[in-house]
Amino acid sequence: MKRLLTTAAALAMLAPGAAFADGHAAYTIGVSNTVQGNGWREQMICAMRAQAASEGDVAELIVAHRNTDAAGQLEDLNNLIEAGVDAIVLNPANPDALNSALDAAMAAGIVVVAVDAGVTAEGAYILSNNQEEYAYLGARWLFEQLGGEGAVVYMRGIAGVSADTDRDNGFQRALAEYPGIEVVHEVFTGWQQDQGKQQMFDFLATGIPFDGVWTSGIDNVIVDAFVESGAPLVPIVGADNAGFVQYLAETEGLQGAAVTNPGSVGGAGIALAVDILNGEAPAETTVLVDPVLWENTSAEGQEIIAGALNPNLDPEWPVSVSIPGWTDYSMEEIIACEG
Amino acid sequence: MNVVRKNAWVMGLVGLLAVLLIVTKLIQPSFGATGLESLARAALPFAFATAGMAIVVIVGGIDLSIASIMAVCGVTAAVLMQSMGAVPAVAITLALGGLMGAINGGLIVVTKVPDIVVTLAMLFVWEGVALLILESPGGSVAPGLRSLINGSLIPFVPNALLVILIAIALVWVPVKRSKLGLSIYAVGSDELAAFRSGVSVGWTKVAAYALAGVLAAMGGLSLIMLTGIGEPVPGPYLLASVAAVVLGGVMLGGGRGGLLGPIVAVFILRIIRTILTLANVDPNVTTIVEGVVMVAVVMLGAVLTYRGRRT
Repeated sequence: MKRLLTTAAALAMLAPGAAFADGHAAYTIGVSNTVQGNGWREQMICAMRAQAASEGDVAELIVAHRNTDAAGQLEDLNNLIEAGVDAIVLNPANPDALNSALDAAMAAGIVVVAVDAGVTAEGAYILSNNQEEYAYLGARWLFEQLGGEGAVVYMRGIAGVSADTDRDNGFQRALAEYPGIEVVHEVFTGWQQDQGKQQMFDFLATGIPFDGVWTSGIDNVIVDAFVESGAPLVPIVGADNAGFVQYLAETEGLQGAAVTNPGSVGGAGIALAVDILNGEAPAETTVLVDPVLWENTSAEGQEIIAGALNPNLDPEWPVSVSIPGWTDYSMEEIIACEG
Repeated sequence: MNVVRKNAWVMGLVGLLAVLLIVTKLIQPSFGATGLESLARAALPFAFATAGMAIVVIVGGIDLSIASIMAVCGVTAAVLMQSMGAVPAVAITLALGGLMGAINGGLIVVTKVPDIVVTLAMLFVWEGVALLILESPGGSVAPGLRSLINGSLIPFVPNALLVILIAIALVWVPVKRSKLGLSIYAVGSDELAAFRSGVSVGWTKVAAYALAGVLAAMGGLSLIMLTGIGEPVPGPYLLASVAAVVLGGVMLGGGRGGLLGPIVAVFILRIIRTILTLANVDPNVTTIVEGVVMVAVVMLGAVLTYRGRRT
């Protein structure tokens, strides 16, 4: 944790919660999330719980976690404000739709931290995975792997979603650096496993040759599509989902790379909220967590991937369960999901 | 005395709501005017969806497409308000909602396919229409329209609550007092008897679905008033509205019940969520609690009604 010196004045001003006798503050933090039952989001919630439990200054975590729309998230946010929380950490359903509640929260002195995606409310902190860098890293590795020449398939996420737009910017940046690379198929998978797999079956069936595949995180089913249709494997780039990482370690003949997109950014959001409450606000309101690339073509990379494999993890969870420099919990604590 | 007996269910619900408000105040002593305003705002889309659903249930049907109609109306209004004033945009949206409801009703009457099948199909049709109008969340909402649901003109009576009551009364009170209202109840309780008494069953059904469409349009408008943008993907309003209709004392077979009970039921379901958040109940448990409370209330009501009849 990047803990700076705290002045007593800032603490008194920013910490309305009662202080413990041992000098720790006792903050109540509210969490709002609108997708339930998705591996990435569940990891995010567990990271929040584990981080709150390991922060000495957090007394209580109130979690509003259900499947709903932006109006439902407004309801949850208003309920959290009524509950008198000191900070709200949310994964926003939409960047613009929540401003009425977020403005009301900030007017009441509540610290607002958006994780995973941004919000447009002025004064809210945003802590997100750097999605442009995510796409750039993977695309650059893929183009490098092909020797700067060849045809690739570009499998995106959902049209109009900010994470997809950011990733496209990164992909295009890498593409501009390698003029010998040509995109033969560009498609939106909707971040749906079955849809992405079907699309890959179709591309293989059309017979138009390609030399590599970049995916926006729908990755292990693409490997499945190659194996099931008996097509020779080409280099594939995906995310650090447990299933894909396992394929990188075990599938014969697969060259590929996983780019980290940790759901544990939720835990980092809790850490940031506590820092701000303790008067250690970062200079910028937007903080990006940079991704890392793991490839299986070098002995070094294979070692990292072997180390990342974790049979205790839910197969849908990203394997990067923590963010160095931000989160303080152990592997056991995030899997226990208590706090 | 007759009035009390006739409205016993609604009065029981109001009593339950009062108890729940007191519980909220006990858990969170600072719960006050702003808390009530938040509650009323959260209830807005649910109240309109529930009122619309109640009318079609009273006529003996069910509208599974109600949340999709709300989505279509929401995105339509949000797109229209980019180029025109709030008043014409709202008028067009309400007319569109009525038209979509009338199409639902017309298909049911003409094809004689059960309501549940037709409206299930239309759920997907209207969902697609909403995505055609607006592919991803966007559009804009007139600030004047949004400010309607904020604050309280009368102390402790949120403006959002007034909007709910006035808008639904404007639609339902004239209908209920006219021949159409009587026909809706008659068709709902016994279609054949209504037909033999000279009620035009087909037109009554179409009218009921059209009214539900207008109320769903109001629900769609309330969504964009809350968020400031149009969202093409329907929210969780279908099952919630059926739940509130049942809890509100409307018989699922049709012919019995009113709109006041379901609207009070909406507030009960919303305040339960507020209480569960304030009490920091595990989010995976909250939906179980919501369901159990609903079943318990409906069962208790059935027992009380049965015992009341015996004595």
